[in-house]
Amino acid sequence: MAMMTDTAPTSGHDTQGRGSHFLLHLIVALVLLALGGGYALTEILEFGKVQFNTNNAGIHWGMAIVTYDYFLLTSTGLAMVASLWHVFGMAEFAPIARRALWLAMAGLVGGVAVLFLELGAPLTALWATPLNMQFASPLFWKVLLVGAYAISLAIVLFGMINKPDAGRNPLMILVGGLALAVTLVAGLVYGMMAMRPVWFGGEIPVVFLIESFVGALAFTMFFSHLKNGFNHSNMRPDTRALFEGTLARMFAIAIALHFILHAGRAITGLWSNAEGMQVWGYMTAQPLFHIALWGCVALPFVLMVLPGTRSNGMMQIVAAALVMIGLLISRYEFIIGGQMVPMFKGTWAPELLSYSPSTGEWALLVLAVGLANTVYAFGAWKLGAEDRA
Amino acid sequence: MPKWGMVIDLETCTGCQACTTACAMENNRLPGENWQDVLFYSEGEYPNLNLSWLPRPCMQCENPSCVSVCPTKATYKDEGTGIVLVDWNKCIGCKYCMVACPYGVRFYMDEAPAVEPDVRAEFPASGRRSWNPPFKMPDEYEDASKGIGIQPKGVVSKCTFCYHKVSQAPAGVADLDEDNPETKEFTPACVRVCAPKSRFFGDLDNPDSHVNALIAEKGGVRLKEETGNKPQVYYLSGGGSPAVPGNRSRRS
Amino acid sequence: MDEINTGISRRKFLATTGTTGALAATVSLGVPGMGLEATSAEAQAAKTPNTVVTKNICHQCPARCGIDVYTTDGRVHAIYGTADHPISNGKLCPKGPLGIYVLYDPDRWRGPMKRTNPNKGRNEDPGFVPVTWDEALQTVADRLNGLRERGESHRAAMLYGRGWGASCAGLLGTFGGLYGSPNMPIGHSSMCSDGSIVAKGYTDGNASYNSHDYRNCNYLLMFGVGFLEAFRPYNNNMQMWGYMRGRKTPKTRVTAVDVHVNTTLAAADRGLLIRPGTDGALALAIAHVILTEGLWERSFVGDFADRQNRFVAGQTVTAAVAPEPVINAETGEATSPEITGEGFVEKWVTGLVDWWNIELKDRTVEWASEITDIPARDILATAREFGSTRPAMAIFERGAHSHTNGIYNGMAIHSLNALVGSLFAKGGMAYQMGPSYGPMPADANEFKDDWANNGDWKTQPRVDKKGSSDGYLLARNMMQEIGPNHLAGDPYKLDTVIFYQNNAIFTAPNGQVWEEAMKDVFIVDTSPFPTETGHYADIILPDHTYLERYQDSPTYPFEGYPLTQLRVPAIKPIYDTKYFGDVIIELGKRMNGPMADYYRALDSAENVLRHLAKGFETDPGDNGVNSWESWVEKGVWYKKPYFWQQRDGVFFEWDGTDYNREMTPEEVGQKLLKTPSGKFEFRSAALEANSDWIVGATGRDPANLMFPIWEPPVHPGGGDLYFVTPKVALHAEGRGHNIPMVIAHLQPTVGGRGEAFVEINPVTASARGISDGDRVRISSDAGSIEARCRVYAGVRPDTLVLPMEYGHWASGRWSKAVPTEHCGEATVNQSDRITGQAMYYSTKVQVAKA
Repeated sequence: MAMMTDTAPTSGHDTQGRGSHFLLHLIVALVLLALGGGYALTEILEFGKVQFNTNNAGIHWGMAIVTYDYFLLTSTGLAMVASLWHVFGMAEFAPIARRALWLAMAGLVGGVAVLFLELGAPLTALWATPLNMQFASPLFWKVLLVGAYAISLAIVLFGMINKPDAGRNPLMILVGGLALAVTLVAGLVYGMMAMRPVWFGGEIPVVFLIESFVGALAFTMFFSHLKNGFNHSNMRPDTRALFEGTLARMFAIAIALHFILHAGRAITGLWSNAEGMQVWGYMTAQPLFHIALWGCVALPFVLMVLPGTRSNGMMQIVAAALVMIGLLISRYEFIIGGQMVPMFKGTWAPELLSYSPSTGEWALLVLAVGLANTVYAFGAWKLGAEDRA
Repeated sequence: MPKWGMVIDLETCTGCQACTTACAMENNRLPGENWQDVLFYSEGEYPNLNLSWLPRPCMQCENPSCVSVCPTKATYKDEGTGIVLVDWNKCIGCKYCMVACPYGVRFYMDEAPAVEPDVRAEFPASGRRSWNPPFKMPDEYEDASKGIGIQPKGVVSKCTFCYHKVSQAPAGVADLDEDNPETKEFTPACVRVCAPKSRFFGDLDNPDSHVNALIAEKGGVRLKEETGNKPQVYYLSGGGSPAVPGNRSRRS
Repeated sequence: MDEINTGISRRKFLATTGTTGALAATVSLGVPGMGLEATSAEAQAAKTPNTVVTKNICHQCPARCGIDVYTTDGRVHAIYGTADHPISNGKLCPKGPLGIYVLYDPDRWRGPMKRTNPNKGRNEDPGFVPVTWDEALQTVADRLNGLRERGESHRAAMLYGRGWGASCAGLLGTFGGLYGSPNMPIGHSSMCSDGSIVAKGYTDGNASYNSHDYRNCNYLLMFGVGFLEAFRPYNNNMQMWGYMRGRKTPKTRVTAVDVHVNTTLAAADRGLLIRPGTDGALALAIAHVILTEGLWERSFVGDFADRQNRFVAGQTVTAAVAPEPVINAETGEATSPEITGEGFVEKWVTGLVDWWNIELKDRTVEWASEITDIPARDILATAREFGSTRPAMAIFERGAHSHTNGIYNGMAIHSLNALVGSLFAKGGMAYQMGPSYGPMPADANEFKDDWANNGDWKTQPRVDKKGSSDGYLLARNMMQEIGPNHLAGDPYKLDTVIFYQNNAIFTAPNGQVWEEAMKDVFIVDTSPFPTETGHYADIILPDHTYLERYQDSPTYPFEGYPLTQLRVPAIKPIYDTKYFGDVIIELGKRMNGPMADYYRALDSAENVLRHLAKGFETDPGDNGVNSWESWVEKGVWYKKPYFWQQRDGVFFEWDGTDYNREMTPEEVGQKLLKTPSGKFEFRSAALEANSDWIVGATGRDPANLMFPIWEPPVHPGGGDLYFVTPKVALHAEGRGHNIPMVIAHLQPTVGGRGEAFVEINPVTASARGISDGDRVRISSDAGSIEARCRVYAGVRPDTLVLPMEYGHWASGRWSKAVPTEHCGEATVNQSDRITGQAMYYSTKVQVAKA
């Protein structure tokens, strides 16, 4: 607690700069929201989701689900990062905990909004899921857990509004625990599917956990720099110490784990003869895979391992941005790849299904980005999301 | 309580797709969105090309993975018939069942039409009703709680084994045979039209049913035994089949 | 989610479609007094009390499957096969259930119309405007009356496609005779499968398709028939297939010959991929093996007098000379002594020795292997199986005879049936008997005026030059020549053409010529649907669809015994349409002279049908149909058995209990083998009689043109690849291409959904830089078309296969949206000079990436 008061900022200057800074962010976010949301909603209301490039041949979950899971896992990862301080008392992380929690809420709102636009009957989901108790379905648990996570996170954030010096919040044990559970169950949704070899496996929840965490670190890094106008020297000393020390190292280690799991699954997939695994051969032949693996995982890892670049603010921004993009590509390849081998379609479908997002599906991503940033920027502008650090 | 099952004889199946079109019309399916499909495969080089085909209804599994993944129990195993159904009033259109079905036999309504112009626009309907063909099944058959009728927007549908026919069958009947006047009207559409009589429909729980006799005598096998889904649809391949039943999926 | 449960109300439905509910003349589902049937039906009726079932006949191929049409609350919602119908037996093919879409096809014409744009062409909007039936009919009648008054009645024609029975196409010939035109009607058989009909006529004397006894057949050898795709009756074929291949002992063995692997070849025991147009060579080699290996049926064909087989490759044989009868000096009775020596004694065949000596002796399997591109071992194995398995049938259709040498290919294949004795045998093939119809309401001959009896029209040739020595003297019809002949004004220009079930502008090979030719003809189209021919029409007189009309239809050749069926309307016509039979009768009533009285006597098509049904009163069917009412109720009248059977070379006639009465050779010649000799003629007397004309028209050798010989086919078009355009299972004779459910499933073997693919061999494709899924251009001298290709290892490297279905430009929105173009536009219009068969499969084309 002492540390927090110790490092109280020069609030006058900061508040002044913050106002215009976050308002600009909010405006940009609202523009994105209007563009993405406007296009997506118009299309859905005018034509329905028939405009999406998903199909009954086998690509059932498309870009919308990719976006949803990406934002959801980013959110849970951020909650876990915040838990480093709130739950485990790692004081080093105190300067970023508040931001991480606001970002967690932002990501959650963006992701869930897309899910609601993707679902065929979202309103039915609200009552039919809790009332029917299908314990066997990971999605049942996911819905329940996401709901509890959202509520508990909201309560925590509500308590923080315009209270810059709030300390460790015991409720964060619940938030962190739910974030962990959501992340693992999100992995189970795919990992339990024995009929889809690309997805199947007990390691998938762990993969999701690592990806969620590495993503959260990247987002934390990126938005912390953003908050400071992408100027390293604007950072307060404690934050800066975290960024040049533990956070960067932790980021490097998380990227490494992510690389190992990603490459390991690719190698296993390429080696395996099992029906369905041919997707790995296809995916590894695409530039996208290598952009994601080498450009968005290996390169950031190198940047974060070499001492010269690790503590360089610009390099951190680059590494964070690359990881953020890389994770989206990986999530996309994972979700689409698992569905590319058509099941019992014969000549009616090609040997491997192809998919690329429609304009409307891209618009949903824009919507999610815009909405999440709106939440964050509004929080920062009016609700004190950035009152600390 | 019967446990309805189907036997498909690949030795006599001619790959004509009558099962597909009969199902499509009986159940008001959109063109190309077939609950019952015939799948064709070709392997080999000229002149020795192996062209083969497989009629594929829903397998109506004993352990259906679609049921266990459905977050709202919209997909369920009907206890009176052993048929897997979808309650459209509870379906949220998450498509997890489609992802989890190893046999690819589930269909979402809100997809681009397989054939243009879109018949949904030609026979428009209002609200969540997706289309309104003038040849729609009788109102008495429609039952959203069982996924029978015009598939609404935003939900998933699947083969019902023609539940609206099968469920009317007299109690205790061992087989629903289209050639028997007593059971003709209760026989699923795909079975009823099958010209080479490659399809048989009966009660798997009735030891005297013809389907059980066929499975035993002609070596009925099920698709993808390794999934443990235990389909209630069996295939006869003309005798020898290299398929080996998995230990956990052996018929009990 | 209440919207889901709210079914559209009946009132709303009626408002949108104009339907007024089911007709009274329908059969309720719970048929009282029907025993078992009622158990099922009553339970069903409890659930859907308003459901009525009417009998009908499927309209989507020639098979004439009896169907049960289910109508509830004014909606026709299901079609199933009629259980007690000998052809459908409760089953259907993939087309059958789609009939309800035919009824509700949104592209149907709504009522009679006339053209307002005098210009005709593919890109001309006809500018159709609705007219009353009276105005439409009177317009046509005035035109016909005018022609007749000017002595030009021959310039009016009626062209029909799928005629069904006495109440539609059956009325056309009478109309032509009363009106006075040689072109009323002209059938489409030359664009169908006359090649097989004529080949059979020249060998066994029956110019007809065969009836078949598949149930008892142990070996099927099929040449280009698409048994599991297109051969009729398709539905029944598949029922027989299930029996022959699944439940019958012994299992029937099957060898199928075609140019690509289709479902028939895949399901057969052996599939032979033959070079197009060489089926006759394969058949000749099989005949050669049957003879050299002594496998022929001696009881039917005969034998060498000394029972030694002298058929040795390359060596001639001699015919036995019948010795002088020995006269008993005491009684004066003449007895024929047993024939002795090396000569061959023919029994129910003629010309075998000459055929062998002139043709067969050199037709070895090695020779045929070169010609057909089929390995010699496969030919030999096929020949041995076919020759040693009884009963066996060799069947063939367009794949074999739609070539310049089609007559000989057909004769050679049909000769195999004679060699193994399967004609009129159990498990073999026979011909179809007609139904016991009552007489028409009036005799047309009593209504003929002087022009009808003695008018100048009688001296006019038919416009298609069928029967003309400068045309097709021996053909049955030559519809494909009408467009070109009219364009050339040879023999004359047509004035008015009425089309029934016929879209010749699209269907004729090289239909582009028709598009030009028909511009100055007054065209009346009677299809319920827009068609290319209708696009050229001056008057549209739309027919009811088949679920809205009464119509009779005697069976296509099926199992031999007589069978005729009835269409019963399921609902009142949805639109302002009129049954074609009634259109003809109404036109007739508007004609000048006594012929109008004839049509007033006919009154209506339904009246005609009621008169036909009177024949059943004295000859009730096996299912108890003995009246109009019972015919309506059951939908079919049939009477088993077929009357004749050949057993071990002896012909028997049914005597009321069994095939017991032995027939004399004279009776056989009169009733069964209707050739000049009364025998199966390997040496066709009828061809020989026309030898001079054939020599003049074709340059063939008078020494052998009367035998089933090998003649290399001629392939026009100027390309390097054969172009074969088969019909597939969902091809509904021009009624399927606009059905979205058909478009979704047309070509399952290569995944043709939404379009048809050109099947191209991988080697052929890569040599031309073509990849799977590329759009390709197919060109011949006739024209060029585009379609997407599928690289498929099941098609011959020298052949392209594109199902005939798409490329319609004025036949409805769904078919117009299909990107595949029409194979007919790259098909050269060439016909077999003898059979008149249009050669849809003989053009050679080039292919390149589009």
